[in-house]
Amino acid sequence: MMCMRKLRSAFAAALLLGPCFFGSAQAQQEIKIGAIYPLTGAAASTGLEMRNALELAADMINNGAKGIDMPLAAGGGLPNLGNAKIRLIFADHQGNPQVGATEAERLIMQEKVVALLGCYFSNVTSTASQMAERYGVPFLNPESSSAKLTQRRFKWFFRTTPHDDLFVHNFYEFLKDIGAKKNLKPKRIALLNENTEWGVETTKIEEKLAGELGYNIVEKIIYPAKSTQLTSEVQRLKASKADLLMQSSYLGDAILSMKTYKEQGFAPSAILANDAGFSDTEFRRTLGKDANYVLSREVWAKDLTTQNPLIKQVNDLYAQKYKTDFNGNSARSFTGLFVLADAINRAGSTAPEAIRKALSETNIPGKHLIMPWEGVKFDATGQNTLGRGIIVQIQNGEFATVWPFDIATKDIIWPMPAWDKR
Amino acid sequence: MMTKKRNSLIVVGAALALVLPFIVSNPAHQNYLILVLMFAQIGVAWNILGGYVGQVSLGHVAFFGIGAYTSTALLISVGLSPWIGMLIGGIVAAVFGVMIGWICFRFKGHYFTMATIAVAEIIQVLFTNWEGVGGAVGLYVPMDRQGWGVMVFNSKLPYYYIALGLLCVTLLGNWAIEKSFLGYYFRAIKDEPEAARSLGVSLTAYKLVAIAISSFFTAMGGSFYAQKELFIDPGSVLVTSLSVKMSLVTILGGVGSLFGPLVGSTLLTGIEEATRQFFGGSGMGIDLIIYASIIIIVAIYYPAGVLGWIKHLLRRDAKTEGGA
Repeated sequence: MMCMRKLRSAFAAALLLGPCFFGSAQAQQEIKIGAIYPLTGAAASTGLEMRNALELAADMINNGAKGIDMPLAAGGGLPNLGNAKIRLIFADHQGNPQVGATEAERLIMQEKVVALLGCYFSNVTSTASQMAERYGVPFLNPESSSAKLTQRRFKWFFRTTPHDDLFVHNFYEFLKDIGAKKNLKPKRIALLNENTEWGVETTKIEEKLAGELGYNIVEKIIYPAKSTQLTSEVQRLKASKADLLMQSSYLGDAILSMKTYKEQGFAPSAILANDAGFSDTEFRRTLGKDANYVLSREVWAKDLTTQNPLIKQVNDLYAQKYKTDFNGNSARSFTGLFVLADAINRAGSTAPEAIRKALSETNIPGKHLIMPWEGVKFDATGQNTLGRGIIVQIQNGEFATVWPFDIATKDIIWPMPAWDKR
Repeated sequence: MMTKKRNSLIVVGAALALVLPFIVSNPAHQNYLILVLMFAQIGVAWNILGGYVGQVSLGHVAFFGIGAYTSTALLISVGLSPWIGMLIGGIVAAVFGVMIGWICFRFKGHYFTMATIAVAEIIQVLFTNWEGVGGAVGLYVPMDRQGWGVMVFNSKLPYYYIALGLLCVTLLGNWAIEKSFLGYYFRAIKDEPEAARSLGVSLTAYKLVAIAISSFFTAMGGSFYAQKELFIDPGSVLVTSLSVKMSLVTILGGVGSLFGPLVGSTLLTGIEEATRQFFGGSGMGIDLIIYASIIIIVAIYYPAGVLGWIKHLLRRDAKTEGGA
């Protein structure tokens, strides 16, 4: 009986405390936006960073940020809607697609949000956006990269980030640019990709584009992810006499492969990595100077702050508040809310169709973004066509943006020196 | 006396279940009801093997996933109606269950449980790397065609009644087992395996019967899930946490009892959704802490499950009534 009482009081406490978190002070018109992110579970730390970024964006729109030259950053909410404030309602999807759909439905039907943002995980984004599609509510996805999402041709789905296919396209655009600028054309390309969906899909696109663009792939290795040794793979790479290696690996494999390259003296002119393990801070920490010269695809880099004053201003604001810099994820989430708010403001209404129409007419120039993009403009599938990745190179233990050339902070080092000449 | 009471309770419950979606009209709330029914159904299916025969499986998600993948792949590739796909999925899962059982029943107790976890993990890896079923990207159930033929609806009501129907069918299956010789054999295998064997009950054969029935119904639940969420991938229909949830609703409600999983699912889904709704957005994991605490409290104070506790209370009341 005792514990029944305890249980009951726990429930009572839950019921009493609940409304505190969702106190509904309706002093001014509010624009409710639902944000579905992984706030618990394995990706919780990433989820909380994105949540912080979104809160900063909402705060800038509602209360203003001094000296930041960005549309809507003057404060005072959305001017076309009588200075209505943005209110974010967060939901936790726990990395579970079913929970994502359930929460999307709850936010739409109970909280009456006018639009949804989320969900980082591609699989959760797919179920949550399906719910939005059913109810006819705009869904803006700032950071999921599975190409499939926009292939569904949903009416209510918009994605600001470039997707995995585009990132591979970026590799070849980079090679073309560098070829034109420095007269370097890799003659023998080797591929080393891990064997889950990401690596396998990447391999397919890399091969396809190489064929179309006249590059010669001399070796293609798909290795089991989380391998404990890569000796035979590296021997094959060495034997292929490749001058460019394209690699997709998660952290552990990325470190292991670099160690094995050094051991066996495999040094192509360049290693072009596909983000993930190579972008992890731990990669540079573990390998120290052996990590130098690696090129990696990225979506954001801190040195972009020196190229665009806006990026520095916003990053300073974020760093001041949360004691850390933006990264590829949080910067994209931040941008997502601004794109959505811009559309709602232009719509001048919270009617779903008006917002959808405004989103589809979005045209934000790159200078108003904190991303290294040319802008935001959606095609018929809802994909932003002006997004792009960047290529960074580890130079003296730090990431430096080396491509696209118009925003590069350092000159690329190519070819990378052999292991015994470092 | 008890059975009469129980029967009238069942009739009232069934009537209530039929009209409930008309009382609860908000689709988000109807969705919770569907989740309750869905997890109750797979709990009931799990209960056949885990509850009656006492073979605790933490790999049942493999059957759930096989069901989901079979019906969805057939729908996408040859346009087969999910109603038939669901049955085929059930049969595939049952055959697979027998194969797995053949190997895993060599282990006893905890070792059996561990073996089932391993099997489910292997299945997850296989599906993640199997291009033909979408690999890690997963499969989408096409939304363009709707209606009873393809089991895709905009409204929640049809899903609710399908879930209710599935639960009823699974409950009926369990009830029939309980009443037949199978029920006695199963309980004998659970409580006195040596005695059962000495009386000529083949332990392995009947355990295989149990796993076949159990995986058949679990797979049907998987097909239903796919039709409801319209998207499946290894991360949603082959995750270990789902196996845990199947066993949890049953253990919490009452292992080896017909309606235990329904009670467990109502409680668990209720707590889960309520705590997440109130605290989930805070990002501090409070919802999960409360959720876990409640499970621990129930496990400590009501080891026979909530249904067992309710029965105990009823019996005590009956006794005091008799005494007065």
